[in-house]
Amino acid sequence: MLWRAAPLVVAFAVIVAVWQTVIWVFAPHVSLLPPPLLPAQEFWKLLASGELFVHTGMSLMRVVSAWLLAGCVAIPLGLAMGWSTRFERIADPFVELFRPISPLAWIPLAILWFGINEAGKIFVVFIATFFPTLISTVAGVKRIDPVLVHAGQVLGCIDQQSLFRKVILPAALPSIIVGLRISFGTGWAAIIAAELVAARSGLGYLIANGMEVLRADKVLVGMVMIGLLGVAFDALFRQLSRRYSWGRT
Amino acid sequence: MTRRPGKAISIRGIAMTYASASGSAVEALAPIDLEIGAGEFLVVVGPSGCGKSTLANILAGFGKPTAGVALIEGTPITGPAIDRGMVFQSYALFPWLSVTGNVEFGLERKGLSKSARREVALGYLQSVGLADFADRQVDELSGGMKQRVAIARAFAPEPSVIFMDEPFGALDALTRRALQKQLLQIWEEHRKTVLFITHSVPEAIFLADRIIVMTARPGSIKTEIRVALSHPRDTTSAAFRDYERSIYAQLDEELVKSFAVEAADLRQGAAAD
Ligand SMILES: Nc1ncnc2c1ncn2[C@@H]1O[C@H](COP(=O)(O)OP(=O)(O)OP(=O)(O)O)[C@@H](O)[C@H]1O
Ligand SMILES: [Mg+2]
Repeated sequence: MLWRAAPLVVAFAVIVAVWQTVIWVFAPHVSLLPPPLLPAQEFWKLLASGELFVHTGMSLMRVVSAWLLAGCVAIPLGLAMGWSTRFERIADPFVELFRPISPLAWIPLAILWFGINEAGKIFVVFIATFFPTLISTVAGVKRIDPVLVHAGQVLGCIDQQSLFRKVILPAALPSIIVGLRISFGTGWAAIIAAELVAARSGLGYLIANGMEVLRADKVLVGMVMIGLLGVAFDALFRQLSRRYSWGRT
Repeated sequence: MTRRPGKAISIRGIAMTYASASGSAVEALAPIDLEIGAGEFLVVVGPSGCGKSTLANILAGFGKPTAGVALIEGTPITGPAIDRGMVFQSYALFPWLSVTGNVEFGLERKGLSKSARREVALGYLQSVGLADFADRQVDELSGGMKQRVAIARAFAPEPSVIFMDEPFGALDALTRRALQKQLLQIWEEHRKTVLFITHSVPEAIFLADRIIVMTARPGSIKTEIRVALSHPRDTTSAAFRDYERSIYAQLDEELVKSFAVEAADLRQGAAAD
């Protein structure tokens, strides 16, 4: 497990080294690019004061709740669309129309409708996580080998309900998990963007605020935190999807 | 389960015409009449595309024929049922279940308790020589092992009929021989009615009580041949060779027609485009 993190650690060290070199060579003003030590100190300060926890917690809470909410809608809808061609024909045009609109393009509407309270940000992340989950779920059901369905039927899954529970759902599960993983990533990106423009807390707010008070070190702390958490969650999901990786051989 | 002696399957005037995408109709099966006895091992051979799978799928309940009825022990087929098992060429094992999980699948649907179905499943896995691999994941197995699991899975719920559509078609010749023997063993032990589809004439003669030779599309029954050899059959014997010769002679006639049908299809398809 740990050796897998080694390349990441090396990459991190290289970035810091290049950064420090840039400081030595070009000597930029500290409000534009501080030396690595400064954000590191700021990181400790924010960590010790608990501020970093609060911001991280807020961002995470928004992402997780919106992502779960989106999953609760997108997975059943995706299963239905993948299973019933008739239903897919009805629902697909709507999906096609909404899908190309970047979730970030919804932020202005979200502010108009919800102001800067939680609902607006959850709304944006919902949009960002909904489509990847939906599309993976639909694809997961459609890719099921019809022979598996036949096998389920001759082994006693006569009604749609048992067939769904015993065959369709487990056969589509790996693809659903991939969708959840991808959508967590898009959700994580979307919440930062939403917080940049409409929040009083969260990592996105930390960054935006750092910019306003000309504190590049604060901005960098926020960015590093976003990166670290992104990597951590992706690793977690990778682990999960390895456990549920049947049917993709 | 009690089985009345006599006919396991009665096929009465079953025919199938597919509406193809281009709008023209494909007559896959001409009306077929056929009786299959309880406990009989029936093998169907015929040129590619003559409707063998179509017939098996109708009998399994996956598709409705455009004409005719099929009765299983006197009851018309309305859909798939656990009483009619199937073994597929592509194994069709459930990859999220272990080896026993697969064999227990039908037993669970039949309402057996956890311990009872484990015991039954292990018995069938024993019959195909895989008891030691009961708790493996199916994607760890070779193709031959997978098909043995699929055979155990099909026999375990004790269906009255088992359809096998080219079950050994994807296996190498040696594995195939071994599986033919194992299939005969398990069939002799449990005496289920089997409808077995193959392209291999020696395989047909090795396994069958009776062989149905089908015509080129639209498929109908060209001849049937009863194989009056006792098991285990010696594939190198003169009698075996005689069966081979006569079945190949019948098939060769149909292959010529089958090629003509395929060529006509292609020309028509090109004209439609
Ligand atoms: N769903 C379908 N729609 C349209 N045509 C079909 C369909 N299924 C089969 N056919 C056609 O019906 C004919 C018979 O097909 P079938 O699969 O039953 O043949 P087969 O004897 O099993 O062939 P093979 O030996 O290659 O497996 C073929 O010409 C095939 O193209
Ligand atoms: Mg076929």
